[in-house]
Amino acid sequence: MKHYFLLGISLIGFGVVKAQTDSTSEEDDFSMYEELDFADEGAKRYCSPKIEGLSPAQLIYVGYDVQGPYTMKADPLTNRAGDQISGADEMDIAATHGLRLGCNIPVISKTSLVWQMGFNYWQTKFNGMVQDVPAGGRNAVIDQHKNTFRTLGLNTTVFKPLDDKQFLLFQGSADLNGDYTFSEMMPLNYLKYSAAVLWGKRPNEKKQWGVGLARTYRVGEINYIPVVMYNWTDAANKWGTEILFPARAAVRRTINPRNMVLAGFELQGQSYRLYKDESLRGEDLEIRRGEIRVRMEYQFSVKDFLWVSAQAGYRINYRYHTDRLDDGKETLRAFGLLSDKPYAMESTLTNPFYVSVSLNLVSP
Amino acid sequence: MKKLSLLALIGVMLFSMTAFVNQNTDGDRLLGVWEPSNGRARVKVEKIGDKYFGRIVWLKEAKDPVSGEPKTDKNNPDESLRNVPLKGYRMLKDFVYKGADVWEEGTIYDPLNGNTYSCTIKMTDKNTLDIRGYIGVSALGRTDIWKRLEIKSKKKSKK
Repeated sequence: MKHYFLLGISLIGFGVVKAQTDSTSEEDDFSMYEELDFADEGAKRYCSPKIEGLSPAQLIYVGYDVQGPYTMKADPLTNRAGDQISGADEMDIAATHGLRLGCNIPVISKTSLVWQMGFNYWQTKFNGMVQDVPAGGRNAVIDQHKNTFRTLGLNTTVFKPLDDKQFLLFQGSADLNGDYTFSEMMPLNYLKYSAAVLWGKRPNEKKQWGVGLARTYRVGEINYIPVVMYNWTDAANKWGTEILFPARAAVRRTINPRNMVLAGFELQGQSYRLYKDESLRGEDLEIRRGEIRVRMEYQFSVKDFLWVSAQAGYRINYRYHTDRLDDGKETLRAFGLLSDKPYAMESTLTNPFYVSVSLNLVSP
Repeated sequence: MKKLSLLALIGVMLFSMTAFVNQNTDGDRLLGVWEPSNGRARVKVEKIGDKYFGRIVWLKEAKDPVSGEPKTDKNNPDESLRNVPLKGYRMLKDFVYKGADVWEEGTIYDPLNGNTYSCTIKMTDKNTLDIRGYIGVSALGRTDIWKRLEIKSKKKSKK
């Protein structure tokens, strides 16, 4: 009898446990949830790094970029004394193309701090350089375009919300740009450092703006410029802007959250060290490449978090001059305001159409 | 001897059930109303069977700004679900308490883009949750901090 009593107790206990397992109630009156406050009195609200409707951030991307045919014209190359060491030259380039891959991985991703580290690798290859060599010989800089130009970089982004409306944003990168190969890497003292700091406001879920200062190579050579961020989405989530001026600006048309079209421009630039040719190393030459890409971009989800970005546009040359370092130091010209030092060689490029396609794993 | 065996069996059953009840009680600390960091919604965590689910019970912007109608799950990849009201929608699903203030094996749904992510929940203190949504591996994810809410009048009466 005693045993049956114990068994009965245990079964009742089990029933109690089962009864506790469903805490749901299908109430339709949600008004009781309006008058709530934080249980923890010290709790603060922080603004998010994103706004509603933005195109998704890329965690990992693999893409390919192709520019159509264009002509490169080079003035004579001079040495430090100003004497000509290589004559004027002109070359038609059938295509410029290369792999572009990278990643941005969250290191800390919390409400009060977001810190990402990233890596990028871009190639630029020049095809179809078939012009006859001029009587004075091939221009030494143009001749280096038989090599692949590479950009290998590390970058970091820190988003620090100050409260539910204000934030600070820091972006920094270190890039190794040049015609080096992986078997013969350039020394790390040729790294180019870029950075931007912004203070911004996020007044609501559909708008964020910010102002700040950037150290950038986007126009091909070192510059310190003001930057303005303005991201906005309309009430219907159909239209918006994604602007980090002057680096890029786009108007966004959202077909649905998995399909969007962006129209705008991006300023791209690098400072490529001419490293591979040992005879040129002593000249301390760097190609200051800056270009404006006016473009249309279609981004869509292939499956879940896997997106494709397809860009087509027109590449407008901003600068493609060869500069010489002075005792290893770059010249800060500030658009001619701080220095009018001549370049070692000036070049002009005609402007081709381009396409760029990438497969992206996008962030939650 | 038979009596002893039966008593031992009952003892083992009781011990197992006590452990089971304790684990469930610990897991039940997740129950309540929580607010994501963006402050746009409030989510009530409930228990169905042995799993934990979270329903949207409040929206900062409850009505669609264009139509003026209550917001629905219009970004759901399943067209048949796009008319389901967001208020009442289960955005956290299938969480199992694993001990050590961690709930796993669940998913989180983002109504803004219609995506569902793998998710783990860690209670860092009794009023704070680290909600980590991720793709495939935890490293490819984002953590949001949710805060527990309580009724204002109740809070005042405590003071």
